[in-house]
Amino acid sequence: MWLDFPIYASIAIVCWLAASGLFLSSGKKILNQLAAGFSFAGTAFLLVFIAILWLHIQRPPMRTLGETRLWYAIFLSGIGLATYLRWKYKWIVSYSLGLSIVFLMINLQHPETYDKTLMPALQSPWFIPHVIVYIFAYALLGASSLIALRNLFFAPTEKTVNGPIQMADNLVYLGFSFLTFGLLFGALWAKEAWGHYWTWDPKETWAFITWMFYLVYIHYRFRHPSGHKRAMTILAVSFAILLICWFGVNYLPSAQNSVHVYTE
Amino acid sequence: MVNKNNRETGKQPWSYREGTIVSVAILLFGFGLQASGGGMVLRVAAFPWNLIAGLIFLALLISAFVLWQKHPAMKWLGSVKAALPAILSFTFLVLLMGFVKQDVEPKSPLSKLFGITHLVKTWPFILINLYLMILLGVVTLKRLTPFSLKNAGFFLNHFGLFLVLFSTALGSSDMQRLRMNCYEDQTEWRAVDATGKTIELPVAIKLLNFNIDEFRPKLTIIDNQSGQIVLDKGNNQFELLDRNSLDLLEYHVEVEQFLETSGKVGDAYFPVNEPGSAPSAKVKVTKDGTEISGWVYSGSYVNQPEALKLNETHSLVMMPAEPRKFSSELNIQTKSGKQVTTTIEVNKPFQIDGWTIYQLGYNTEMGRWSNLSVLELVRDPWLPLVYFGIFLMMAGAGFLFIYGKPKNGGTEHVA
Repeated sequence: MWLDFPIYASIAIVCWLAASGLFLSSGKKILNQLAAGFSFAGTAFLLVFIAILWLHIQRPPMRTLGETRLWYAIFLSGIGLATYLRWKYKWIVSYSLGLSIVFLMINLQHPETYDKTLMPALQSPWFIPHVIVYIFAYALLGASSLIALRNLFFAPTEKTVNGPIQMADNLVYLGFSFLTFGLLFGALWAKEAWGHYWTWDPKETWAFITWMFYLVYIHYRFRHPSGHKRAMTILAVSFAILLICWFGVNYLPSAQNSVHVYTE
Repeated sequence: MVNKNNRETGKQPWSYREGTIVSVAILLFGFGLQASGGGMVLRVAAFPWNLIAGLIFLALLISAFVLWQKHPAMKWLGSVKAALPAILSFTFLVLLMGFVKQDVEPKSPLSKLFGITHLVKTWPFILINLYLMILLGVVTLKRLTPFSLKNAGFFLNHFGLFLVLFSTALGSSDMQRLRMNCYEDQTEWRAVDATGKTIELPVAIKLLNFNIDEFRPKLTIIDNQSGQIVLDKGNNQFELLDRNSLDLLEYHVEVEQFLETSGKVGDAYFPVNEPGSAPSAKVKVTKDGTEISGWVYSGSYVNQPEALKLNETHSLVMMPAEPRKFSSELNIQTKSGKQVTTTIEVNKPFQIDGWTIYQLGYNTEMGRWSNLSVLELVRDPWLPLVYFGIFLMMAGAGFLFIYGKPKNGGTEHVA
């Protein structure tokens, strides 16, 4: 069944490349609609493939890393399109389609990785949504922090306030919603896998700290819509915390034996 | 003390300054209480006292709100000026937990005194939680009166979090997490809690069968001298034995025969199915035209592993197989008279009479031949309330996604 994969993957990649190209190159409405169509078509092709695969192997194709990457590609492209349809941020679609293409390319390059070991606790339907929404939250918050960093060094003008700063603000809300979903999905999954929804595992602790910092930002912003300088500082610090949560936890003494510290 | 607006501290309307003072005072008071108690570990009272305390808390909160709704102090409690310092104080405590390893023996008398290694069970943590709950409760009530659909997102986010904090705090002492060792064909009804105390349960469990489904083992190359795995950046150090030919470093490996459970007879391995038998493979390894063939065996608690010497420097070895999934077939009887036979595995627990039974582990040394299955039994009567809060928060996150940053000064939707 995987033998047909290159055909489906190629079609999806071509669709997504076309979509990204159209999104990035033009501002015309009709071309944007066409791009959205292409983006959807690529995802749809993969969905058809995974449906056939599912029927063929007679088990949910959610077990191996290769299969997981397939779902990544589908969800990322789907969420990217949904975010575009709601918020019209074209770069988000291009970003998520780019990531999806990378996942498909890995699958094309390493056909043998379809059946690698995955520890039992990770074999759960929660795995994919949990990781996907986090990838997305990090992407959105990362983008907002880049804007924040740039605007730390320049005095806010009317142009930046109505443009990038407003966008950074909005991205935080979107990112925060995904962050909340990721955190709560993690809690529900932990209940299924480990018997408790919250055990203050170091990764959980840091994910919670990250969540709190963005919570601080949102509350500060709500009360002080024109305190741009301080808001951008909070945003930059929050992203530093997010990076600790993402990469740094592995190196903290408090994190020995964390279930989230995976080794090769 | 006089601030920029020439308002005396404590004089209405209160601002961030009072918010900071209150939050810091709660932290200091909490740590003081903790220290005066000699660093004891706190627990919330168990049922029914936690329920009674919770109801009294709710009643006090609501009546105080109704009585003093118009009072400036109540308005302040429901404002960002109180909330931000409170969030920051809570963040401070969680940051401490992020840097100091929790649930271990305290290293210094000072950290023991202030409970730094078990912060969740200390006064400062509980008091800040309580303070946050009061703030969340007040702000929820504030936005509910009068009720408006515009506040739906706001309500979901704040009340959801309130419920989660409320139910996890009160429910923490009613939750039981016990560990039970079940041996095949034996009935067990005793389990131990985290402190090592044995508890008799209203549920008796008989392990009918323990099953492991294993991945095929991995192959790797070791250094003959050091016995260490040869590191090679960029290339896979391990290859899963799921194909008939694979490449490791500069070697090409052909798998001629793979046996899932096997034992050695003479110079070769044969399929056997008795405790302690392990996977083996007959392989042919080629490098630069030279060819070596022989057996590799992953070994078990009974038998030594066997490596295949390739040359003076390298040997080929088979790693122990890793579990793909493990499951226990159980016969469960309850005091209430129920009797069921079911199979549980990781990520697939089973629920009966308020208990959830999880597959936790097994005798890893014995691997697939383990006759022990370690189960975890969890009872958490407050869980539905926690989940209700979580689902409210999820709905609130949905609002955040759809509406984004609130317009009109934040009076709509999420704020």
